[in-house]
Amino acid sequence: MLKFIVRRIFWTIPVLLVVIFLTFTMMRQIGGNPFRHSERAVPEAVQRNLERKFHVDKPWYTQYAYYVKGVATLDLGPSLVLRGQTVNDIVKEHFPKSIELGVYAFLFALVVGVPLGMIAALKHNTSVDYGAMFFSNVFHAVPSFLVATLLIYYIALKGGALPTSGWSTWEHKIMPSIALGFAPMALFARLVRGTMLETLQQDYVRTARAKGLRYRRVVGLHVLRNSLIPVVTAAGPLLGYIITGSFVIELIFNIPGIGQYYVTAVNARDYSVVMGLTVLLSVIVIVANLVVDILYGILDPRTRDARA
Amino acid sequence: MRNKIRWPGLALLVSSLALAAGGCGGDDEAAGTGATTEGGGGAPAAEQVITVNWGTEPPSLDPGLATDTTSANILLNIMDPLVRLDKDLKPVPGAAESFETSEDGLTVTFKLRDDLKWTNGDPVTAQDFIYAWKRTVSPELGADYAYQFYGIVGAQEYNSCDPKKDKCAALADKMGVKALDDKTLEIKLTTPQPWFLQQMAHHSFLAVNKKAVDQFGDKWTEAANMVSNGPFKLAKWQHNSAIDLVKDPNWRDAASVKLTRVNGRMISDGVTAVQAFEAGETDVDAQPPPPDEIARLKETPEYVQYPSLGTYYYGFNVKNISDVKQRRAMSLAIPRQSIIDNVSQGGQLPANGFTPKGMPGFDTINPASKWSPADADVEQAKQLMSEVANPKKAITLYINDSPGHRDIAVAIQAAWSQLGIKTTIKQQEFAQFLEFLGPPPNQSVDVYRLGWIGDYVDAINFLELWTCESGNNNTNYCNKDYDAKIEEARKTPDNDARYALYAEAEDILFGDNGDMPVIPIYFYTFPGLEKLSVKDTFEFNLLSQVDLTKVVVAG
Amino acid sequence: MATSPTPTNIREDALADVPGAAPASGAPIRQSNLWKDAWRRYIRNKGAVVAGAIFLLVVLYCVIWPFVSPYTGNEVDFTVAKQGPSLSHPLGTDKFGRDLFTRTAEGGRVSILIGFGATLAILLFGVVYGSISGFIGGRVDNGLMRFLDALYGLPYLPFAIITLAIIGRTDMWTMMIALSIASWFTTARIVRGQVLTLKENDYVRAAKAVGARWHRILVRHILPNTLGVLIIAIFLELPAVILGEAFLSFIGLGISPPDASWGAMAQEGRTTYRTHPIEIVVPSVAIASLVLCANFIADGLRDALDPRTRET
Repeated sequence: MLKFIVRRIFWTIPVLLVVIFLTFTMMRQIGGNPFRHSERAVPEAVQRNLERKFHVDKPWYTQYAYYVKGVATLDLGPSLVLRGQTVNDIVKEHFPKSIELGVYAFLFALVVGVPLGMIAALKHNTSVDYGAMFFSNVFHAVPSFLVATLLIYYIALKGGALPTSGWSTWEHKIMPSIALGFAPMALFARLVRGTMLETLQQDYVRTARAKGLRYRRVVGLHVLRNSLIPVVTAAGPLLGYIITGSFVIELIFNIPGIGQYYVTAVNARDYSVVMGLTVLLSVIVIVANLVVDILYGILDPRTRDARA
Repeated sequence: MRNKIRWPGLALLVSSLALAAGGCGGDDEAAGTGATTEGGGGAPAAEQVITVNWGTEPPSLDPGLATDTTSANILLNIMDPLVRLDKDLKPVPGAAESFETSEDGLTVTFKLRDDLKWTNGDPVTAQDFIYAWKRTVSPELGADYAYQFYGIVGAQEYNSCDPKKDKCAALADKMGVKALDDKTLEIKLTTPQPWFLQQMAHHSFLAVNKKAVDQFGDKWTEAANMVSNGPFKLAKWQHNSAIDLVKDPNWRDAASVKLTRVNGRMISDGVTAVQAFEAGETDVDAQPPPPDEIARLKETPEYVQYPSLGTYYYGFNVKNISDVKQRRAMSLAIPRQSIIDNVSQGGQLPANGFTPKGMPGFDTINPASKWSPADADVEQAKQLMSEVANPKKAITLYINDSPGHRDIAVAIQAAWSQLGIKTTIKQQEFAQFLEFLGPPPNQSVDVYRLGWIGDYVDAINFLELWTCESGNNNTNYCNKDYDAKIEEARKTPDNDARYALYAEAEDILFGDNGDMPVIPIYFYTFPGLEKLSVKDTFEFNLLSQVDLTKVVVAG
Repeated sequence: MATSPTPTNIREDALADVPGAAPASGAPIRQSNLWKDAWRRYIRNKGAVVAGAIFLLVVLYCVIWPFVSPYTGNEVDFTVAKQGPSLSHPLGTDKFGRDLFTRTAEGGRVSILIGFGATLAILLFGVVYGSISGFIGGRVDNGLMRFLDALYGLPYLPFAIITLAIIGRTDMWTMMIALSIASWFTTARIVRGQVLTLKENDYVRAAKAVGARWHRILVRHILPNTLGVLIIAIFLELPAVILGEAFLSFIGLGISPPDASWGAMAQEGRTTYRTHPIEIVVPSVAIASLVLCANFIADGLRDALDPRTRET
């Protein structure tokens, strides 16, 4: 197991280089001048000064080398558009907010979704099951911008109970977390129910029950553990998705996280910011996947030796 | 559709769920959110605090690097420009107690006040301005707005210098700005520029404190480091969420400043911004509400609408749509008033020329083009279209992808279909769109949409767009007569004579025999929302700038 | 450690197996039974049948109505703008006076086409990649998975945004590309996981023990067992894609006007939700109903198709 983990960590280095290279190449494919922010044309001298300042006048491999060197020393470079701010500043200021939002949403999804799925599975084909599944289906189906809009309208505007936007006190954080956690919650419920039903019908569960093991113990020991496998599998990418897929939520609730920032940066051709954020997200997602793999090994010993 | 029935149920469930999860906290956020109670007129409120949504994060508060309106609005209130613009956009003394232009118009001299102080206690001197300007023009800073200084002797040369090859310091010394003494500033211009004094009110010309820059480098604009010299100072700047200003009691005219604190927020989404305003979280929403919301908001007394120096237009690629009759027909077919009333909604004015209303000399300059009527003249347009020898019936219209532009494009697409023109709308994301337009524009561009907002108050700022060499002329249009008129205007300090030249230039574009390289659609307005307590005193000028020293919260 | 075939014997095996040379005993009969059983099981599930019927109905409405409708979805007439539902306009009109019932059908065409197109692309990529990786295992698996990790580093929405920015225009095809190019990683991972688990199953081990060739194991034992999962995956992925398209439209990256998808219509509708809520409700309900039906269908299919729940 240890060898496996060490090797996985070692693997992240080439993976990161590939990510940087991919993003780097892709960004260079996009047309557009990062130094032009409005309709106004940029005079030639000004354009040249800016290119010189940000080393954009150098050949691409030199720029790539600069960049990799920067990443290695944890310096993601200056923003081309937000003058005076470095990518490190931007990350420090905005990233914690996105993470916070993502974690709350994820917790909401987990805490509500998993029990919902379990109950539905255990009460298979009863009204509880139907009800739970119907609602989780509805929640999964509703686009998050509509959920957010409804929450704001009924709770903040009509009810005056919570602020409409921003991210400072705990009151600000409730609605965005729920709006973002809605779909994953429903997904978790469905996943857990599905696998749990499946596991309940596996031979070893039936054997265990035939052997006279108590129902509760069977569910706790075998069924739940196996039912969590797809949740764990989905949790890694989902965490990444929640953190970065919060663009819409961050926009609607005006949360100064990086999701909202990313779109702006791509649109403004702020190469260093886009690359910096992408590299950072990659690290997070890679780490999340690593954790998932390890959990996978713990939960399903059958796969462990095959992957070691 | 069975789900329709469940919809209200869902909403209810959502609400109850969130209520259960959130308890019922409803207290205001951090201290100092001055969402004040409403009530017009009357005596000033005890607490002179307001919250303003500026709409966006200021990309930079370095006067040399800032390029946008939010930065400008913050900067002009925390710094002290040499010259301020009054209501009619006439230059009035600011940090300079007097200014004077030499007979030939080539030398401008400013005399600074004696009581100017930086927030670190240093006096503000003429050298501070010279330091700031040379810094902005220097090739090393890479300032976007360095070109604002090109009218000053030697500035363009210095800005174009390559530090690796040339001796830039020598060029810096040759720049035509000089401190005659601590309080006297002399500027040499390349040509007489009648608009130069107004231009001095632009934020690029603010002074910068050298000590702060030397000590903190790029970070000198952060709240903890910033040294400013204006009526307010930066108290807090949390990027993308809050920018708070407090009154500086040591400012030269602090007695006249009523506000003690201005909390700034950056809510960029229009719908979200309106919600925040209606929930009482902001007192002023300076982010224009989405057009679709305006009809509803207009019914409330809190809706405000300021004229603005800007023109929304559609440009032709005259190489592709070469027949002037087709260009006129297409302009005639556009129902400007109907688009304003139904789509853009903000009370904009139908444009019948390129220089916007409110520009000094507008009455003389405006061509009142008969090709650009408020209401579409489809009959005449069809008539004209039938006279076109080789009409282009399938055209491609390029716009950048924003809902407002999209809606206008859809309306115009429908209008042109009456002329038998099939319009394909291509949306591009802004940076790409701009690159696509050139100049010269990509061959596939037949028509494009753009707008122009004035930097300073002279029609030259608009009309020079359509000269042959202009970097903003994306039409391929080039007319030597037109260029000659503009060139002549540059050399004409007398206002009336210059306005007459502008009028002749407009006539070349939009007169009865005009070339119509562009279709003016409307002159911009700047709609917003203001709580009644500040509505009377919170005013945006034609450049969408607000003077916070004038704002009083009514009790 | 699972035995993984080296590249040479992969080719040998492939060459040795000439189609039709050795029909497996009884395989076709077993297959047809499976599908018949599944169908029987599916129509017994009322929820799934209703969902399937509604799904079909929505699709048919989107396909047929624009031909029948007296309106076109793009006619601009401000005099009839923002009307409520009436006999001539069952869902009212939007701010341009366009008939919403017609426009919703036209928007649905776009959404559904993008949805199915992108879903198929996702499945194709995901299945090929995932089953190769999972089945071959060992170094190949490791390499492929690490590469997948690298792609994972470009999360789906940003990746879609960058892709759209590179292509430089947004229409139905570029939307399909943007949505699928960034979304097949999860499918690949799940398929791989499925294959990995199945590979350890007794019957596969038994087949291996008696010397069955790898592709036969893959085709006969592993893929049929994942097929159910895949069909379910279509209906699981479809909603994700439709919602993804809606998100992209929402942040302003929708297809070119005057055409619109449901997502683009909802985005337009959000700005009028205070005065004319039907403009956001109609496309949102359309999206939600399609997604909801797809989920129910997926559930029904899961109960009907999954070989491991078959015996109960």
